[in-house]
Amino acid sequence: MTGMEPEQLSATARSIAFTRRAAIAGLGAAAAGLLLFGPRPRDDTPPGRVVVDYWEKWTGSEGVAMRRLVDEFNATQDRIYVRYLTIGAIDQKAMIAIAGGAPPDIVGLWNFNLPAFAEAGALMPLDDLAAASGISRADYASGVWPMLMHQQQLWGLISTCGSLALYLNIDAIEAAGVTGDAVRRGPQTIDELDLLHERLLATDTRGRIERVGFIHTDPGWWSWLWGYHFGGMLVNTTGTQATALSPQNVAAYEWVRSYPARHGVEALQLFQSGLGFYGTALQPFLTGQVATTIQGPWLANLIEAFAPGLRYRAVPMPVEASVYDPDRPVGLLDGDVLAIPRGASQPEAAFEFMLWLQDRQRLESLASAHGKNSPLYDASRGFLDNHPNRSIDVHGQLANSERAFLFPRVRVWPRYVAEFDAGFQSLWQLRKSPEAMLRDIQAVAQSALDDAAEMRQLRARSDAS
Amino acid sequence: MATVLRENAGWLWVMPWIVGLLVFFVTPLGMSFFYSLTDYNMLEAPLNVGAKNYAEILRDEVFWKAVRNTLIYAGISIPLTAAVSMAIAGLLDVDSRLSGIVRLCVFTPTVVPLVAAAMIWLWLFNSDAGLINALLGLVGIDGPNWLQAQGWAMSALIVMNLWSIGQAVVIYLGALQNVPQALYEAAALDGMGPVRRFVHVSLPGMAHAVVFNSIIQTITAWQVFATPYIMTEGGPDRSTYFYSHYLYDNAFLFQRMGYASALGWVQIVLIGLCALVPWMISRRLWSTR
Amino acid sequence: MSGLSGRQTGAVRLMLMLAVGFVFILPLLWMVATSVKPEDQAMGAGLSLLPDPPSQVFGMAERNYRSVLTDTTVDFPLFFRNTLIIVLLGVIGAVVSSVVVAYGLARVPMRGRRALVVLTVGTMLIPFPVIMAPLFMLYSELGWIGTTLPLYAQFFFGNAFSIFLLYQFFRTLPSELDEAAQLDGCSTFQTFWHITLPMSKTAIAVVALLHFTYMWNDFLSPLVFLVKRDQWTVALGLQLYQSRAGQTPWSLLMAASVITVLPVLIVFVLTNRIFSRGVAEGAVKG
Repeated sequence: MTGMEPEQLSATARSIAFTRRAAIAGLGAAAAGLLLFGPRPRDDTPPGRVVVDYWEKWTGSEGVAMRRLVDEFNATQDRIYVRYLTIGAIDQKAMIAIAGGAPPDIVGLWNFNLPAFAEAGALMPLDDLAAASGISRADYASGVWPMLMHQQQLWGLISTCGSLALYLNIDAIEAAGVTGDAVRRGPQTIDELDLLHERLLATDTRGRIERVGFIHTDPGWWSWLWGYHFGGMLVNTTGTQATALSPQNVAAYEWVRSYPARHGVEALQLFQSGLGFYGTALQPFLTGQVATTIQGPWLANLIEAFAPGLRYRAVPMPVEASVYDPDRPVGLLDGDVLAIPRGASQPEAAFEFMLWLQDRQRLESLASAHGKNSPLYDASRGFLDNHPNRSIDVHGQLANSERAFLFPRVRVWPRYVAEFDAGFQSLWQLRKSPEAMLRDIQAVAQSALDDAAEMRQLRARSDAS
Repeated sequence: MATVLRENAGWLWVMPWIVGLLVFFVTPLGMSFFYSLTDYNMLEAPLNVGAKNYAEILRDEVFWKAVRNTLIYAGISIPLTAAVSMAIAGLLDVDSRLSGIVRLCVFTPTVVPLVAAAMIWLWLFNSDAGLINALLGLVGIDGPNWLQAQGWAMSALIVMNLWSIGQAVVIYLGALQNVPQALYEAAALDGMGPVRRFVHVSLPGMAHAVVFNSIIQTITAWQVFATPYIMTEGGPDRSTYFYSHYLYDNAFLFQRMGYASALGWVQIVLIGLCALVPWMISRRLWSTR
Repeated sequence: MSGLSGRQTGAVRLMLMLAVGFVFILPLLWMVATSVKPEDQAMGAGLSLLPDPPSQVFGMAERNYRSVLTDTTVDFPLFFRNTLIIVLLGVIGAVVSSVVVAYGLARVPMRGRRALVVLTVGTMLIPFPVIMAPLFMLYSELGWIGTTLPLYAQFFFGNAFSIFLLYQFFRTLPSELDEAAQLDGCSTFQTFWHITLPMSKTAIAVVALLHFTYMWNDFLSPLVFLVKRDQWTVALGLQLYQSRAGQTPWSLLMAASVITVLPVLIVFVLTNRIFSRGVAEGAVKG
């Protein structure tokens, strides 16, 4: 500014001030325009219908599939109108809305939310409605109904479910020169999986890992389930005792630990940091960097979208040799449930939609679009033949297996699993031994369970008095 | 009577605020204290459990971890931001058009919404395609996996926090403007170079502002939430799990409203204690001078 | 250093200033640059600010931004309008009430003024997370959950920070003004309305702007208090856009970030002097 004459300066200043003022006015006009003519919340509800607000977690193609069914339902109705809304972090949002007295009519929860929601009194029990409608446990795959129950009451109906299996990237495996049983029937025991991992392991000239056969951190969503593949579990059947520190669990996490111990923490970290995201073409299973991975049946949709033509196969996730039994495969059965919040304004209409969805054709079309196995006891021929996942029979078998397991059915699960996720990370960095990790988790989980039980008793007593 | 009224006419003016204080601060604080003595999940009636929640906090390892993380963050971040922002203020303390433009650049990040800032830095810190590791690669350094590696995640958050020091810089610049020009001239006559002038003249001029800023930052450190919540979810192994995040999880993820309320009251006490530190340090410094 | 001539130190300072400015603006530049690239180039580790070939820039910009703005699950235009309404109401509430309260505190006689000022500053030390849960219960008792009221209603009763800033400002005004006005027969309110307010335009603008950025940027209160998706704010939308199952490309995420940042950035650039004055005058949003 030093080179300017005073008049010049003030003229510049004035013109700047003027432009600024004009710009502010323009901004104000734009804001006013947005306020007056901007988009309003869409309300395409037909007049005179009972509106059912349905919150669901699905976005993308999974959301589209459900929306299509909702539209179909709405078209057949002149009484009820279901409004489908996508919500992120749906369990927290739903709990807040229910507590705040502004709940939706249907909420699409994860099945592991049910115990906490049910015990807090956040949901309507559905036993009577379900009994009157004639649907029953026997219609569904054996693992499905227990997912909907808590403390002998029914809290939801199924929308979709998927069991976890081990996926083999056959292209990558064959390219590594591995053939025979490893490809044809896949690894059946943990030892076989380790062996496959070693045979597929590839490093570059500098010794950096380029490919692994298996790694526990892909996709890294289930830090807690490895013990189940060694015959362990995390809570006893009555949900009163945490059983994290069982010998089976210790053995399982010894196995987990053997990977960073064998390859080095830094080397694995380096390898992991070079991997692409889940749900992109760079997802490591699709690129072959991780040649086998534990996943649900929906993986087929990602393969179709990002690596069409990739040869793959799913087999039950291997187990520790002593618990191996080909007729009773082990695997997590995950599932999505539809529930009706306490305080919902249209519970009957909500249930009508949920019931409408339980029709074989509708459940199967939804499952098929999601790439998941059928929640029904016997999947139809057409469903199996046209399914996007060519290994869907493996997932179906798992869903009906007596050794399929669910998320632990306890109210304090969010705390339990938070502890597991943190513990797993310290184990993976070799900062804790498996025993130490499990002992810490056990202590937190048990005290949370005891605390919850004590509170339940105190509540019952204070209610009685 | 009339005089009493006249002498207290101000109370009429502040009435809305009195109501606001009662409704939006006193009531929730009271409720929070009441909840802190109960087991409460928002849906069932609160159940009186006495001081149980407070006793449990002391035994809660995650609580101590969150406290530790918050203290580490504050302990590194506050002196670091103070040093960097004072240096930048010293640098920009000249009258020139460029200085004005640079001031604008430095201040701009402070108005960027935290969520957007978190997105931007998630992207910058991306180990594979992120700008930071790409720049490090230019000078031959293999950048770490910033947000997933133990130790680095906290560093990443501290670096990111440096980006939004604009307010501190502006405050220090204001303080520098109040330093009499004569002091600089005297220092120059003593043969001091620009760096020594900065140390001997500018720094003392900013001392009060530093204390003020440090107290403010101590308080904000206890409230850090959005950035780690979005960028690291508190990981890896809870190394970026901050106090407010733990409180939020207890309230809305674990449905332990009572415990969360107790955590809140402990937080108030801890903030009070921490805010004393910069104040005491400043007292110490000035009394020895 | 003292060995360098004035010219040389000037040059060093110039270089340093340029470097500092560049470092601070680079993340924003990079955000914009990423938002106009095709995804495979965004993910490629190149350092170019423009897509290759550069002529793609407008095509890509149109594609990416259109894709963000027309996304069906995250309705940014609607969230924009929601945010604007909430922020405007909050700012109006905070400014109107805080001006009145601060004037009373600073210039109308009352006993216990000091205590109230201390109390007001004290509320700024209470972390929001501490009272958010009981506030939530309070709002739900009032039937406000499911509306946007929890985000702005409280500001109609004053905002501690705004009150404190205005209080400090009003105290600097010479008291002769009030006395003269009172001699002319003005009531306290007339003095406030005809004398003080016209002199305080800048201070009020400062308060309004700081409150505007504070509210536009707020993430935790909408996260906790807004349950209906139709009422969401841009900040929540951006987080939903990021957190959904891993499929959001970086180029689109950066485009969405640009959309979130832009309004507040424009307002800031247009009014940056008022901003810096407000901050320098004693304050940081607590």
